Amino acid sequence: MAETNTNKRVHGIVAEYTSVDSLLKASRRIRDAGYKKIDAFTPFPVHGIDEALGIKPTVLPWIALAGGLTGTITALVMQIFMNTIDYPYIISGKPYLSLPAFMPVAFELTVLFASFGAFFGMWALNGLPRFSNPMFTDPRFDRATDDRFFLYIDAKDDRFDAAGVERLLGETGTEYINQVVADDSPTTIPKPLITIITIVIALSIIPALIVAKMRVTTSSQPRFHIFPDMDFSPAKDLQMVSTLFADGRSMRPDVPGTVARGQLNQDLDFMTGIDVEELSRIDLPRAQKLARAYSPSALLDDEPKTADKPMAAGKSDAVPDAIEEVKAPDAAASIPAETVPEPTKPATENPSNQPSLNAAEKSDSVDTAAPVVDNTPWLKRNPLVIDNEVLQQGQLQFNIYCAVCHGANGSGNGLVNRRAQKILATTWTPPSSMHDEAIYSDKYPDGKLFNTITNGVRKMPGYGAQIPVEDRWAIVAYVRALQRSQNASLDLVPADQRQQIQERKQAIDKALAEQAEQEKKKAAEAAAKKS
Amino acid sequence: MSLAIVNGLDNTVERPGERAPLVLGDSTYHTITESVCKIAENPPSKAWIIGFLVSATLASWFGVCIAWLFYTGVGVWGNRSPVFWGWPIVNFVFWVGIGHAGTLISAILFIFRQDWRTSINRAAEAMTIFAVVCAGTFPGIHVGRAWLAFWLAPYPSLNLWMWPQFRSPLLWDVFAVSTYGTVSLLFWYMGMVPDLATFRDRSKNKWRRMAYGILSLGWSGSSRHWMRYEKAYALLAAFAAPLVLSVHTIVSFDFAVSQVPGWHTTIFPPYFVAGAIFSGFAMVLTLMVPARTIFSLEKLITIRHLENMCKVILATGSIVGLAYGTEFFIAWYGQVPAEMFAFTNRAFGPYWWAYWTMVTCNVISPQLFWVKKFRTTPWIIVLISIFVNIGMWFERFVIVVTSLSRDYLPSAWGYFSPTWVDWSMLVGSFGLFFTLFLLFCRFMPVINMAEVKATLAQQIHMTHGDDH
Amino acid sequence: MSEHVTKIKPADDPAFKLPTALGALSVPLCVGGVIALVIGWMLGCFAVDYRFGMSAYLTALIYCLTVALGSMFFVLIQFLTRAGWSVVVRRIAELLMMMVIPLAVLFVPILVSVWSGGTLYEWTNANFVEETGFDDGAWKAKTGYLNPQWFTIRAIIYLGIWIGLALYYFRGSSRQDETGERTITERLQARSGPALILLSLSMSFAMFDWVMSLAPTWFSTMFGVYLFAGSMLATHCAIAVASYVLQKNGALRDEVTVEHYHDLGKYIFGFVFFWTYISFSQYMLIWYANMPEETEWFWDRHTPGSIWVYVSLVLIFFHWMLPFAGTMSRHVRRNPKLVCFWGCYLLVMHFVDIYWIIMPEAEQGMGGIIGILASLLCVLGMVGLMGGLVLMKARQTGVVPARDPRLLESLQFHNI
Repeated sequence: MAETNTNKRVHGIVAEYTSVDSLLKASRRIRDAGYKKIDAFTPFPVHGIDEALGIKPTVLPWIALAGGLTGTITALVMQIFMNTIDYPYIISGKPYLSLPAFMPVAFELTVLFASFGAFFGMWALNGLPRFSNPMFTDPRFDRATDDRFFLYIDAKDDRFDAAGVERLLGETGTEYINQVVADDSPTTIPKPLITIITIVIALSIIPALIVAKMRVTTSSQPRFHIFPDMDFSPAKDLQMVSTLFADGRSMRPDVPGTVARGQLNQDLDFMTGIDVEELSRIDLPRAQKLARAYSPSALLDDEPKTADKPMAAGKSDAVPDAIEEVKAPDAAASIPAETVPEPTKPATENPSNQPSLNAAEKSDSVDTAAPVVDNTPWLKRNPLVIDNEVLQQGQLQFNIYCAVCHGANGSGNGLVNRRAQKILATTWTPPSSMHDEAIYSDKYPDGKLFNTITNGVRKMPGYGAQIPVEDRWAIVAYVRALQRSQNASLDLVPADQRQQIQERKQAIDKALAEQAEQEKKKAAEAAAKKS
Repeated sequence: MSLAIVNGLDNTVERPGERAPLVLGDSTYHTITESVCKIAENPPSKAWIIGFLVSATLASWFGVCIAWLFYTGVGVWGNRSPVFWGWPIVNFVFWVGIGHAGTLISAILFIFRQDWRTSINRAAEAMTIFAVVCAGTFPGIHVGRAWLAFWLAPYPSLNLWMWPQFRSPLLWDVFAVSTYGTVSLLFWYMGMVPDLATFRDRSKNKWRRMAYGILSLGWSGSSRHWMRYEKAYALLAAFAAPLVLSVHTIVSFDFAVSQVPGWHTTIFPPYFVAGAIFSGFAMVLTLMVPARTIFSLEKLITIRHLENMCKVILATGSIVGLAYGTEFFIAWYGQVPAEMFAFTNRAFGPYWWAYWTMVTCNVISPQLFWVKKFRTTPWIIVLISIFVNIGMWFERFVIVVTSLSRDYLPSAWGYFSPTWVDWSMLVGSFGLFFTLFLLFCRFMPVINMAEVKATLAQQIHMTHGDDH
Repeated sequence: MSEHVTKIKPADDPAFKLPTALGALSVPLCVGGVIALVIGWMLGCFAVDYRFGMSAYLTALIYCLTVALGSMFFVLIQFLTRAGWSVVVRRIAELLMMMVIPLAVLFVPILVSVWSGGTLYEWTNANFVEETGFDDGAWKAKTGYLNPQWFTIRAIIYLGIWIGLALYYFRGSSRQDETGERTITERLQARSGPALILLSLSMSFAMFDWVMSLAPTWFSTMFGVYLFAGSMLATHCAIAVASYVLQKNGALRDEVTVEHYHDLGKYIFGFVFFWTYISFSQYMLIWYANMPEETEWFWDRHTPGSIWVYVSLVLIFFHWMLPFAGTMSRHVRRNPKLVCFWGCYLLVMHFVDIYWIIMPEAEQGMGGIIGILASLLCVLGMVGLMGGLVLMKARQTGVVPARDPRLLESLQFHNI
């Protein structure tokens, strides 16, 4: 029966059985004969074989227990560290250290780690995976996973002697005995498999490389969107078309007969900075246009369905009584904010008509740049009652909105300006200094200043949409105060504060002097280094 | 007494003092190997191909819907105020529940030494894994920006500068479901190793041999290996049993830790677990009864196996029924107005139809299993199992939707309507499930051959008496 | 496959009978038990306060009742699942289940207390709404359920169900000892399903009525399951302890083997886990949702400085962690002495559990040394009385279902 090639190394001898009982009997016999290195191979776990072969119990439960304890500790430490120590954050009124709430995850990780322990512990103890096994060389061994039972005596056993073992096995009722020889099948991995694995690995590296490259390089291109990620808001911007409404406009006019919050504008002078009564005497059409633009239902008149035909007289029902005499609207008055300021010199003062005064040198001061004489009857006086509160509000607003360009002291040298000068932006129009005489109240009335804040001038955008009316007037007041402050003498200060101011001034002068000295030193040092 | 039990003998009768055979006919170890292996070795049958095409189409449609969801946003679902947990969560809980029977059959019945599990546990475990795949998909895509779902993992992120919130039940869910998926996979795979070795040893084709060879880790059937293997299997069973309990408990915590009337009930954990087992067994029966006919496995999956499963369905169905009753009773007993309203609203509010569908399918229909005739007639079993599955889906629907649609604030009440995407995803998840299951039937051992052979050996041992 | 029992001893073998040494204990136990119970109850009622004494009595009663009902559940489930391994210990459970009959008699004082306007149950208090400010309408609805009439009617129904089931199964099983009919097993098996449903329903509601309503405004759907978990744990412990004591005294020497202890040990371990699972879930849900109408119950047991905080901690550490670790190992479970030890230990812990559930509602703390003594005397007396009665019954019927068709299977039983 043992007819296999004898040149190969013999690992042991195997015998085949057809039933559990004959296998058990044979095992006991071999064990009793004193063999130690024996094993059985069966298609299913045979009960009683452990005892028949003298197999000792396994330590696997301990590995699993260790795994489980590791899991519990990992989970508790992790949760306590993360939610109690490193990132304490109260949620639903629970304490930072919420043990009941940490139990579920602790339990899950216990089970997970214990299972890993049992599973991989079994691999480790059994020496799996093991793809090359001398047993597999036996031609009939394939049936060990089907319906046959094999008993194996290893050649390393002290009592091993091929002939004796074969004789002994022959007495146990087996029909097949064979020597188990070394597996000499080629050990190289098949080429196609290597090719496939290489290609898969190569391909799988590509995305990682792309990501790595993107992380270390900069690009002027906009971000690459694999997922939309809420980066594109479906909300409509100004002037955009909407499919939701029949008229296609996304900006909605006020509902007829209603006034939106904060839009109840009654005093036209206050709103515009123009003495409207005076204006209507000088230039009635313009005054009417102005009144229409500021009436709450102004937008209503511009609905597209009525825009293409002359305004019907009956339509003016919606217009407030103060301007009922208005006739057909001027086609140019489609957007009020653009038409209101300075209709006499639209090309210069209108912020949306930039190109005409693009050149920076052209606009050193306001009045010299204006080609047309301004006959608008601006309000001469700030309509607000000026008190400390108003001035403080004006300062606050000035510092928020104006100071970035005009500077905190109004000298026209804010951060934006400095930066623009530094990078020598060719299109830059330097902001005016508030201390230019042209802007003093005698030449540049309060109303006009207000209008400039509201609607902008040259490069300066209008702030009407951002700053409430009262605050704009407050800014005007504050600017006047700034102007005064530049030319003020100490006598104007209340007597009890003079001392304080002088001390402060000295301190500042000293600090400035020191600073200048230091800069000088630095420059000197730099020069020395260079040479 | 000899083993020559006539084929077709009724093994559902078990006289006290004797044990009915679980492997029928003149089965030998070899015929068991043959009948299981041929399913994977023979070319696929027409029924398989048609089934596969249909389910693969549905699964692809599921994929398309998910892509559409990613592209458009979660608004494609019917989830609207006040019902923000619509069908996706209903489907999630439904599928997780289905999954539980697999582990239960494998682990708990193993611990209770119920030998009849051996013929069905493999398919049930596979079912668990596929159900968990379907289940995991739903919360994954429900988070809105699914590509950022990895934020749920507790990793030290340099972009976020924060840790996940472990006091939130939704994070417990992440851990529970992923642990459950992993452990089930280990358990399933480990159980398959010896059978994959059988596949390996029977393969004629070199590539096939290599594939199964790698999968079976070089299993040789050594007794030492078997000893450690059995220990590991028993340990995994011991871990998996409480794990099943914990997973559905944690799923029930998602609801029960909240203050939503109708969700906050202390009975939820055991009641969810019973419901999960209930629906899972129903799904196993829905799959196994046709499968045993198609693959002619009647001798291994006998009527006795089916009957036992029907009994489990009857038992768990009754537990679920008792839980429904207890909930109602305590809602009244507690005299908390919101709770009382929630339960009245469930049964008689706008969703009365869902509630009574649920009660009919879950509580009433399994009561038919008191009659032995119904427990042993395959087509009736399938019919009732399908009813139970429908009922259990509705149970989750009732819990999720009725409570959310009418909670404390009547001004925010609403009525949930699913969209075509909701429908597609429900049907599509079934497609995914069946696709995976059919692939499994084709390429893996559907029945645990080693364990059935061990059962047969036990049977031979018992019938032949002690001849040693 | 070393030892193989192939033959069953004849039904009148002394191994199947109650050892005389134990039988002789029955009368002294009964007498001593009654005396201890009466002294304990009186001590509680008169030295502390009536409500405290009645609560101590109720604690003792519920303690024994949970073991009795757990045993009934055990018996029914063995029949339902056609279990083979448990036959040798089933008679012990059957004897324990018969405790429901004397316990039904001992329930009468509770009924008397309810009817006589005693303060044991707060819902008998006519001024409850004025005293607590609980919603009047809700209270009317509740007292429509919780009132002496309905309480009595329901108690009669529950006790009737239990006594009926106990008698039916005990008589069936003991008749088989004489006739050996297989049909009896078949009959008992067939009825076990509906019987289990009846038992679980009645047990759950009885626990709502008798225990949960001690705090009349509190409610928890899980409560029945919670007590069920404890009762199953106590039952398995009691069976293990009883079979160990019987073996020590000469009965069941060859019948109950290491394998059976191993299985009982596994169940004990399993139910320690299950009890923890249920009690944790109940606590967790109430703690997390944090709704005042539910947290009041745990607040009584949590108030910083209250004695009950320590009892709660005892439950966590000694009803869960210690026995959980202690019974985890296979080596422990395969050692009868250790299984018996953990059985005794957990029976004590089960008492602490019941004590912790019931006594805080008496609003007297532990009642000082005298209160503790009263509670202990009550429970020891009740256990002694029950033990004596069970032994008396066991003297007549033996300790093993000697002619059960599955006895051989049980004798041969091997764990995996």
